[in-house]
Amino acid sequence: MVRRAGDPPPRILYHVIELHHLTKRYGSTVAVDDLSFRVEPGHVTGFLGPNGAGKSTTMRLTLDLDAPTSGQALVNGRRYSALRQPMREVGALLDADAVHSGRNAYDHLLCLGRTNGIGVRRVTELLEQVGLAGVARKRVGGFSLGMKQRLGIAAALLGDPGVLMFDEPVNGLDPDGVRWIRDLMRSLAAEGRTVLLSSHLMSEMALTAERIVIVGRGKLIAEATVSELTTHYPSLEDAYMALTTGSVQYGAAR
Amino acid sequence: MRAVLSSEWLKIRSVRSTYLILCLGLSTVLIGLTIALAAAGTYDAVSPEQQAGARIADLEEVLIVVPQLCMGILGILVITSEYATGLIRTSLALVPRRWPVLMAKATVVGALSLLVGALAVFGTYLVAGSVLGERFSGAYTAAFEDRLPLLITLTLTVPTFALLGLGLGALLRSAAAATAIVVGLVYVIPIIINNVPEPWSERLGSLMISALPRQITGDLITTSVYGSLLPPPVAAAVMVGYAFIPLVIATWLIRQKDA
Repeated sequence: MVRRAGDPPPRILYHVIELHHLTKRYGSTVAVDDLSFRVEPGHVTGFLGPNGAGKSTTMRLTLDLDAPTSGQALVNGRRYSALRQPMREVGALLDADAVHSGRNAYDHLLCLGRTNGIGVRRVTELLEQVGLAGVARKRVGGFSLGMKQRLGIAAALLGDPGVLMFDEPVNGLDPDGVRWIRDLMRSLAAEGRTVLLSSHLMSEMALTAERIVIVGRGKLIAEATVSELTTHYPSLEDAYMALTTGSVQYGAAR
Repeated sequence: MRAVLSSEWLKIRSVRSTYLILCLGLSTVLIGLTIALAAAGTYDAVSPEQQAGARIADLEEVLIVVPQLCMGILGILVITSEYATGLIRTSLALVPRRWPVLMAKATVVGALSLLVGALAVFGTYLVAGSVLGERFSGAYTAAFEDRLPLLITLTLTVPTFALLGLGLGALLRSAAAATAIVVGLVYVIPIIINNVPEPWSERLGSLMISALPRQITGDLITTSVYGSLLPPPVAAAVMVGYAFIPLVIATWLIRQKDA
């Protein structure tokens, strides 16, 4: 998507995720702790942190799947639950395995699309785009994790949304798929979309993302550009290791 | 709501388990035919004196548990399969108001089970009637209009089970737990209640789902293993309660709880 001079101003201004003092407790466990940051359009924002740091919880809170204990997450200035056709504003891939294994890829996407008035044409287009057109009528139970990731990405893109969130989309992909995701993420961002991408693959993140948000134990540890981090440390991986020391923890031991 | 309804309709149509369950539910008619043929054969083989004393239960009433349990399980599966895979998060994220998801499932499952119930009950009645004819003191030659209220009520118990299953599935988020309760309500709890001292055995027995159809229509039989204390409107209200109380609680909770 190329914007020419003279085109009406793009919707870009509104493609933004804002977290304001977002906090989520499960009993005595604090999963997300007073987290505030903004995810802006035009570049891929990498979302990093050890396992259990609260990345997935943050994404669920943003989609109003879980209710925050305090604070709020806003998408395009509004609560997610205030959106009437959310697929057209926000697309998310949280868990590639969240599919009914007996349903074929085409029907799966159409089931999701129909809730937001999205039909057959867009589903066919997306299956083509993510490279699943050849297996569209195959049941997803037989898909590899990589194929399910592609299906999940297609689902996130169905409504052509300006805001996108992907939780570990690179898991299970072959080298070809990894490069495909990298190019896709960068081109989605270049189109003026807001892209939040979590991953544990540092080298991959260094190639894909321009800005990095690092969390640990639910708190914000660092928010910087990849180039800022790599000037102070030998690599993004070294930066990550140095910054998250002491934040690695599993479960709720606090 | 229409968009969510069309999504849920496609969801139920696009998995094979639905068709398997529908076939099992409709197999009632075949089972009824087999029993009727066997009963007719036995009847014809005995002396006229024995024939005069022979009785047969209403097959559509005896076999109603087949479509009841099948459609109850369909109701359970349409929601618990989403919790099992995590697909429920996607479903709820796409419809942030959430309750339409459950209502659309209830509409789709309710309509399908009404159809299956009607085909099973009326199909069994017609098949058994045409096989048995005048046998068993004309059990199947009573005027159709007289049988109609009970046939309709039996039909309505099938969507009752489907909605009960859906509500329990949404509350418990577990197919195994919800199935245990639905099957328990038909087979286990009535046996326990049967062994409770009177008058509680009859009082509680009257509240069992299987006791309701004849209390609703007033066609009471003395051989009922349940109770028959409820007047028709109360029995009808109890059946509506089975169908909708768990579902209404689930609809209220699905808006409050973390998905």
